[in-house]
Amino acid sequence: MPDLSWLYDWLTAWAPCACLRAQFMQRALLGLLLAAPMTAVMGVQVVNFRMAFFADAISHSAFAGVALGLIFAVSPDWTMPLFGVAVGLAIMAMQRRSALPTDTVIGVVFAAVMAFGLAIVSRDRNVARDLQLFLYGDILTITETEIVIQAALLLAIMLFQFLAFNRLLYIGLNPVVARAHCIRVALHQYLFAGLLALVVMLAVWAVGVLLVTALLIVPAAAARNFARSAGGMFWWALLVSLTSAVAGLLISAQDWARTATGPTVVLCGFVWFIASYVAASVRRRVNP
Amino acid sequence: MEFSETAGDLQPAPAVLFRNVTVKAAGITILEDVTAHAPAGGCVAIVGPNGAGKTTLLMALLGQLTYAGSITMAVASDGASPRIGYVPQRLQFDRGLPLTVLDFLVMGEQRLPLWLGVRAAARRRALSLLASVRAEMLAERLLGALSGGELQRVLLALALQRDPDLLVLDEPAAGVDLRGGYLLCELLERLRLERGFTQLMVSHDLGTVTHHATHVILLNRRVVAEGPPDAVMTPENLSSVFGLHMGLAGLNLGERHGCAVCRQEDPHA
Repeated sequence: MPDLSWLYDWLTAWAPCACLRAQFMQRALLGLLLAAPMTAVMGVQVVNFRMAFFADAISHSAFAGVALGLIFAVSPDWTMPLFGVAVGLAIMAMQRRSALPTDTVIGVVFAAVMAFGLAIVSRDRNVARDLQLFLYGDILTITETEIVIQAALLLAIMLFQFLAFNRLLYIGLNPVVARAHCIRVALHQYLFAGLLALVVMLAVWAVGVLLVTALLIVPAAAARNFARSAGGMFWWALLVSLTSAVAGLLISAQDWARTATGPTVVLCGFVWFIASYVAASVRRRVNP
Repeated sequence: MEFSETAGDLQPAPAVLFRNVTVKAAGITILEDVTAHAPAGGCVAIVGPNGAGKTTLLMALLGQLTYAGSITMAVASDGASPRIGYVPQRLQFDRGLPLTVLDFLVMGEQRLPLWLGVRAAARRRALSLLASVRAEMLAERLLGALSGGELQRVLLALALQRDPDLLVLDEPAAGVDLRGGYLLCELLERLRLERGFTQLMVSHDLGTVTHHATHVILLNRRVVAEGPPDAVMTPENLSSVFGLHMGLAGLNLGERHGCAVCRQEDPHA
């Protein structure tokens, strides 16, 4: 287990409120501060590529991933993310080759992985209770190993965004023109799908299957309304996501709130979205 | 049509040479044995009725579909393989994307992600490209908020970005009003003379073609005629392709009639 005590000391010294003195709160804060930027920046492309449903299907494959771990007696910590990546790449391959509409392909895979997961789980009542955790997630129980894994993935995601952001933007605008501009569309799409699946699976630990898509979509949607350029969209998504994460965690710990952390974070993001929607409407009226 | 060495003495090698190009899709022949050329440095117009295979010929040239026969392009002046710039008829894209015209021109050229800003050199290049298509005032505008004519000029700037030897345009005047179409043609002519590329365009607008083209390929699945505009755009040729009374007031009636004639001709083709 890595030694993160220096970080906790630092956080305790600088904590803006008493609720952050508890170590589980500090771990939760760290977990959120690592997860939020990942989902925010990947969410920008999820919105550009219209892949919200894709992300939803990946998050719901968490059940089947855990079920596979039970069958083969392997830790779900391994089977869940690996299965998620496999499902993501499979959907991408099928939608590139199939004549069916994208949402139909995703819908079929979605149904299959959900049914598989539920079928396995229905055999064992004890597992069903554990699966509650996946539905709602719990950032407050995040372990230090998970924090280190998240930090590593965040680095990988940021490197990917540094190298591929412009090309992904081009592909999102029009894949045919991008191909004419000598951009390797297939390579970028597969890389993006694989990394997105990993991000989604890690975020399932934090906020649960039901709210993962919200973490991806809400900041990016608000960013689209606020931003006036491609670079602006990236920074707005980061700002919305990080502030929502911190505000959500602090609010959820207050005595008057006592809400679950994940949903509180998403609600803070939604407040941002409403603000962005109003801002965009006003701008359209002033400058049609 | 054969290009012998003696023909090469009189004029430079053609920029593009289509030889016996045939395209079939789902059992239907779209192009049949098309042999034509685009003289280097010229403004070449491909003219023909709907369904004549004009866009198909462009797609074959761009390598977007398979065909029988051969399409050869002259090597560039610096000996490199020829570069093609392509201006699509209309760009299908996500109009809600917050993307400025400057972002759009830079994103394919700059490796540094746009969220770390646009490099000064890239900005200068993009602005000078925009100036060359008289669109410098559009730089900070959002791509999704442009009118048809403005978008057309931005797409033209994008196509010019890699200094093409051949500029391919699909219906450059479509979606642009008459005056806009005229300005676009003037602009293209000036750019072509300045930069020395060969221009190959598909056009419906016969008036534009007669004024600006230096070489016309009249296409109706096969090449009906090819050569200088006044030799190709004769009343006989046009009425055989488009139907009777081309260019007269009853154009709509004539066109409908013309299409019927084309369909009747097909079995003999």
